[in-house]
Amino acid sequence: MRISSTKSRFLAVLSSAALVATVVIATPAHAAAVGPICDGKTPVNTCVGTTEDGAAYEIRVPSNFNGTVALWSHGLGVSWAVPAGLLPPFPSGIPVDPRANVTPYTVVDSTSSALASSILADGVAVMGSGFSVQGWNLDEAVKTNVELIGIFKKAFPTTKKVVAWGYSAGGGITQALAEQHPELVDAVAIIDPVAPVQANQKLLMDALWLFKTYFDPTMKLTGYSAGKAGDMEATADIGKMYSILASIGANISTGAWPTTAGPAGKALEAAGVPSRSAMLMCALLVGMPVQSASYDNISGPDGALKLTFPLAVSPALASLENFGVALTAGLSMAREWDAKFGANWYDNTKTNYAAQLSETDQVVYNAALSGNTVIGALLSVLNPANPAAPRLVGDAAAVAKASKLYATTGKITVPTIMMTGVNDPVPAASWIQQVSDKYQVQFASEKAAAITAAKSSRSYVAPKNKLGVVWLKPPASWTKFDAAGTPIAQSYVAGNGHALFTQSQFKFMIDAAIKAANSGSVATTGTFVSKARKAGMVRDKFSSYQYLKFYN
Amino acid sequence: MTRMNRRTLISASAVLAVAALTATSLPAQAAEVGVSSTSITLGMTLPMTGTASPGYNKIPGAMKAYFDYLNANGGVNGRSINLKVEDDQYVPTQAVAKTNKLILQDKVMALLAPLGTANNKAVAASVNPARRGVPVLFVNTGFSGFADTKKYPTTYAILPSYVMEAKIMAEYIKDNFAGKTLGLVYQDDDFGTDALKGFTQAGVTFAAKVAYASGSQSATTAAGWVSKLSAAKCDVVILFGVSSATAAGLGTAAALKYAPQWILGSVGGDATTIKAAGVPAGVLYNAVGASFAPATTDATDEYVKLFSDIYAKAVPGSAFDNNVLIGMNTAFVAAQALKAAGTNPTRASLLAAIDSKGSTFASAALLPLNYSKTSHVGYNGYWFGKYSPTGDLKPVDGKYVLYTTDSGSGAVVKSTWTRPAMPAKGLPQ
Repeated sequence: MRISSTKSRFLAVLSSAALVATVVIATPAHAAAVGPICDGKTPVNTCVGTTEDGAAYEIRVPSNFNGTVALWSHGLGVSWAVPAGLLPPFPSGIPVDPRANVTPYTVVDSTSSALASSILADGVAVMGSGFSVQGWNLDEAVKTNVELIGIFKKAFPTTKKVVAWGYSAGGGITQALAEQHPELVDAVAIIDPVAPVQANQKLLMDALWLFKTYFDPTMKLTGYSAGKAGDMEATADIGKMYSILASIGANISTGAWPTTAGPAGKALEAAGVPSRSAMLMCALLVGMPVQSASYDNISGPDGALKLTFPLAVSPALASLENFGVALTAGLSMAREWDAKFGANWYDNTKTNYAAQLSETDQVVYNAALSGNTVIGALLSVLNPANPAAPRLVGDAAAVAKASKLYATTGKITVPTIMMTGVNDPVPAASWIQQVSDKYQVQFASEKAAAITAAKSSRSYVAPKNKLGVVWLKPPASWTKFDAAGTPIAQSYVAGNGHALFTQSQFKFMIDAAIKAANSGSVATTGTFVSKARKAGMVRDKFSSYQYLKFYN
Repeated sequence: MTRMNRRTLISASAVLAVAALTATSLPAQAAEVGVSSTSITLGMTLPMTGTASPGYNKIPGAMKAYFDYLNANGGVNGRSINLKVEDDQYVPTQAVAKTNKLILQDKVMALLAPLGTANNKAVAASVNPARRGVPVLFVNTGFSGFADTKKYPTTYAILPSYVMEAKIMAEYIKDNFAGKTLGLVYQDDDFGTDALKGFTQAGVTFAAKVAYASGSQSATTAAGWVSKLSAAKCDVVILFGVSSATAAGLGTAAALKYAPQWILGSVGGDATTIKAAGVPAGVLYNAVGASFAPATTDATDEYVKLFSDIYAKAVPGSAFDNNVLIGMNTAFVAAQALKAAGTNPTRASLLAAIDSKGSTFASAALLPLNYSKTSHVGYNGYWFGKYSPTGDLKPVDGKYVLYTTDSGSGAVVKSTWTRPAMPAKGLPQ
């Protein structure tokens, strides 16, 4: 059987998925606040302006404004421009884009403006900014959002409810806003959120370090030069990553290693370890999902590989596809943080990678990892004492600076609706699971306290449930094969990829959040469940997605 | 009338208020998921299609044959047993999807005999039956970890563990092949790890140990095994793998004229699977094998007689082999567990019933079940026999000699347990 291996075909999958997850933002020069300047049109009055910290914003208010405004926070954008013509997946480069977003940038079956129109039609205003700082910007974006809420309320004094929502980094921003300023938002909808900053960044950097160690020790990851030279070095790293992914994909059946492999990789290759098993190991050690838009780990082509493909090959291909989606952003942030903190903030000298392979993963993906002996070899080269796998030593001052960034706690302060695709490569399901489990404990505690209070007051006041989680799950199986048995690349399959949702799914989220804002609680039964199901999502109170590897 | 002072009244009111709170906070007692007034629905996953399915794909038919027989005889407390079967093709991710379907869509009361170590581990981690309170009855794998009541509180093993099997095999070798040069072929995953643990515990030394990654077994890779084993001059070779590995190993060895005394693990000695791989069952001839159930050819055994009669009527023309016998026996044990769970069984009462009464359940096996509140271990021993030219395992000299042990450091001893007589008509009492 031929495995889909042409570079262009493979990269097409990566680029389409990566591009939609990447919203880029400019760093405008800071200036005095401007606006809002409104056009006064009907049925939608559109206002634009700039916050005090220099973020461009946009507000749209319908004529039938009912007093509720939805504040959107968009996802991560690069803090530096990737030049055109250097990366095949991004022929036009990754430009800096200063535009404000009032609704999700990407809606898989519609457009951002169509979604906005459907919200406006309900009498709900929409607004959002481009933020003042690019890249990882939770601390700055919360301040911008606080200011924007104030601007809106001043301009539209009939405002009754503020609902915040966002995806990816915007999900993190929304969560941080609710945690820090519960008095300013009545409910939030958090979609495919990033994890708390240190865990999220360590995940990405660990994934990159593992990738570098196995496949190309010349990748820099840290220590980039200043200015444009550093941009070019980081761009080169991204290019190397895509070349390696393409090489592993092209040799998925033979297991041949990329020619760029360093001493650790070459030793493994000499021992007969297939590169696909190393690829999968990278994903499993950091907790990246190993199902992706094109690879379900369930289906196999008719014939001899019907069972072997899903057991031994598909998990590596899925890992490869997810790495392409997640690590473009990872490398972008590696370069950004290097510059932001003035030195290497990432330190993995104490990381025990072997301990991060769960017992379950070792068994479930045993065939794809090529058995316990190979697993032992793959983990062995990661030993801190192995000179072929040098650890990265963080600069103390840079590490201290990085640790001061605001980390979301997951504490639910206002009615909150959360949603993710279960195979999101960020990986959001891990973090939402932790938040959900944590809230169950919180709610049980509130309930116990209410019962205790009732014993003396003789009046039981039930605590209000403030969290509803819905999951977007993939279909029963989805990998497709052509007549020759070659898997066919797919750019979108529900539940996979990052921050990819339909208009009805986004609408469900904002509607549920507005309803929660009005009632002060989240009703997770009845219409909540039926409407979620109608939008293709499920509520599962017993969900058990694996936690993040370093935030347990 | 009793006079009630103010303090008493307040206390009483508070108690009533709390009681009322408790009552209102509890959901109305609903019928258990998967249990109606007329039926109980169970679900199972296993490979029904694909290369891993031969042999195993007879199990649902065997179970249904028993359940149909049971239903025709009044069912369990008047309820018929309905078994929903999902094909996981032996792929863990598929097992997760299919188990989710069984629990969330089909709303089964319990899972029954889901097959495969990796599949059950994947389901435990992703579907988490324990968190949902869903009983996982009698997993069809010998991985010792599934008897861990803390890690898998709603899961019950039934097969003796691979650790037990290896320890017992070591004892058998000591008794029958002392001084011989030993070789071992094992699967390089938890299955093999369990076996290695047992052999290490028993102090067995191998002249050659060959690990194969799951799924890599083929005539080509088996030629490599033979090369290593013959180079080490192994007289006795244990093949502790799946049946496709047995087919590859014994088939290739026969072709290469390499003929040690083979000892096969219980998983890999299935003639049906070996024939499906295109290898004549005759390669099994004179190999040593292990079982905890009576030989399927033992017409004197009351369980074999009853089950084979039921099966012949339900699935005419299908051979009554070990997969069929074990499948029907597992169904019989499940029926007793459901009966013991009470007239209105719930998931919780089912678990409690196995914990409290499971060790008394009747079964065809020649060893007892070991269930209790602290033990989810099923059977704990084996007898050894030799394969006939048609691939049937029979005890040497027609006599069952049973060894028993645990998955820890316990000694291997000959079992003195005597199986009680079968309940009337093979129905739960």
